[in-house]
Amino acid sequence: MITRRSFAGYGLFGALLAPRARGLPVSDSEILLGTSAAFSGPSRGLGIELYRGAQACFEEVNRQGGVFGRKIRLRTYDDGYQPDPSVKNTMTLMLEDDVFGLFGYVGTPTVTRVLPLLKKFQDRSILLFFPFTGAQPQREPPYGEFAFNLRASYRQETGGLVDNFVRVGRRRIAVFYQADAYGRSGWAGVRAALARHGERLAGEATYRRGTKFTSTMRRQVEILKAENPDAVICIGAYAACAAFARDAVDLGLTVPIANLSFVGSENLLKLLAGVREDSSRYTDLLVNSQVVPSYEETSIPAVREYRELMQRHDPSPPKELVTESYTAFAQSFVSLEGFLNAKLMTEVLRRLGPEPSREALEAAMFTVQDFDLGIGESVSFAPERRQGLQRVYYTVVRDNRFVTLTDWHERFAKT
Amino acid sequence: MTEQPKADEAGVILGPFRIRRLFQKTLFGVFALFGFIGVATASLAVYTVDTQLTQEYVSNSRDIAKTIADSSVDILLNRDLAALQSLVDQFVEIQGIRYIYITDETGEFLAHTFVPGIPEEILASDTTDTATVERSLPGMGDFVEVGSPILAGFAGNVHVGMDTGLIALKIQRAIGQQIYLICAVFVVGVFAALWFVNLAARPIGELLTYAANLVQRGGDAPEARVLERQDEAGQLARLFRLVAGGRRD
Repeated sequence: MITRRSFAGYGLFGALLAPRARGLPVSDSEILLGTSAAFSGPSRGLGIELYRGAQACFEEVNRQGGVFGRKIRLRTYDDGYQPDPSVKNTMTLMLEDDVFGLFGYVGTPTVTRVLPLLKKFQDRSILLFFPFTGAQPQREPPYGEFAFNLRASYRQETGGLVDNFVRVGRRRIAVFYQADAYGRSGWAGVRAALARHGERLAGEATYRRGTKFTSTMRRQVEILKAENPDAVICIGAYAACAAFARDAVDLGLTVPIANLSFVGSENLLKLLAGVREDSSRYTDLLVNSQVVPSYEETSIPAVREYRELMQRHDPSPPKELVTESYTAFAQSFVSLEGFLNAKLMTEVLRRLGPEPSREALEAAMFTVQDFDLGIGESVSFAPERRQGLQRVYYTVVRDNRFVTLTDWHERFAKT
Repeated sequence: MTEQPKADEAGVILGPFRIRRLFQKTLFGVFALFGFIGVATASLAVYTVDTQLTQEYVSNSRDIAKTIADSSVDILLNRDLAALQSLVDQFVEIQGIRYIYITDETGEFLAHTFVPGIPEEILASDTTDTATVERSLPGMGDFVEVGSPILAGFAGNVHVGMDTGLIALKIQRAIGQQIYLICAVFVVGVFAALWFVNLAARPIGELLTYAANLVQRGGDAPEARVLERQDEAGQLARLFRLVAGGRRD
């Protein structure tokens, strides 16, 4: 719990350090960025994969001499995907570490609690770059001016899923969601998209953040099954969503189950594949939206670069943060997103020139116009445009891996 | 009732007489007194703690509901439901609050904290009504629910559920502590009563022994310590001796 006293303590400590620390975020040899993400708990795979992708890019940039001779360093803290540690870490990053910018945060419940800090300390000109969440608060007033997003929003992901389901005759759509800001953001997206088609939510069920794969989702499945939905859209993290998909199939709720990009597709698949030999009965009905192209699409230049650098550097998360076992994936959608985030961050730092300052960062972001990130979609930013990419991709499981879905009718048409 | 005392070979009654009935009555009195005090104070404590805690919790809940309602206006008007949920999640961390839900002006749920879903009882209720109600939700427990309108109800309503189980737990703790205290006082009281009874019973026993010897032996009854006492037992013993024809001091 963050108390007023600890908050005041940070303020005093920060103020005492300020004259000396102000020079730290950019020295002659490095630029320091700050990260708070999940490196422990049931969602640690998201933080670790995002970090690995970003580091693959930064390590390569640093290997080639950095940005105007300065290496890009990440100061990283673990928040376990919990809001209070995230707030505490951010205060440390802003007031003690005095980072140049905040980069690669993970999660809606964490980011929504951090945004007011950016406003509170706006005189320090610290911005949040490319958080791993598609929620609205960092895209809209009053906090949108303190963040830049690369990925498409949850509204776009849920809107696309609903549109496609409705197009193939699946109009009764239910929602299974995490009982927090992330879940509510996705829930609102599904609700709004259904309203455009003159429909309402067919049903809804929730789970608590941090639920493990070993937990039962029987009650949630029973609640949704009673509403006889044509499809279920899950807004959650991989452990809980995998548990839901498992129990849904086991209890006879055999309708398409969609997940958003945040779920962490490879981790979801890994959990379901471990249930039994014939895991296809759990994974055949899955359809996951993604905000980056498939890492299998080697015809895409940025994907080729990502695969090459992941293989070359194979980054590990900071040892002091990894307290639980985790086997990283050679490639994943999450690490590809981390890689693209880092690639754009590097470009912006280059645009700052040889004398970078935090105050000039926002203006540098607005110089990014029709920038080719290498994925076939150009990126632009403006004061009223705080999100770089708009496209949503859809993937299904084939041969135990996620591949791009090409035909919704063939796969999911209601018979 | 007194127990038959022992006598020596010459027929002198040695005593002492054991004062049982008086002892039993005193102990019974102690038990009864403490029982009454225990029941009375426990009842008063239950009533006071229950009333005050419930009032305090309901009052706090109303304040919280009003705070959320006031804070929600801009968020609701901006249709930022993630921020609304984030706000609700912060308040539900307060001790005693078990659930919060926010509905719009039509009664549709916009944010809530229920897992795995909104209970049927709440779905079936009139969510535009912000009156304080008591709810019993299967699998969740008993609650006092208070409400507060957002923009006089034109933007929706906030409902906060306080766990009455927590109030019951606090009452249990208060009563438990009181019972511990009463038990401790009771044990001390019993030992004190025993000591006082023995203190009071000893001269009476000596008086009885002396009186029995007077009955047995008349004026030849042996001198007894009770005759030297300056209290009522001593005076009575000397009176008995006078009546029996013994010497006058």
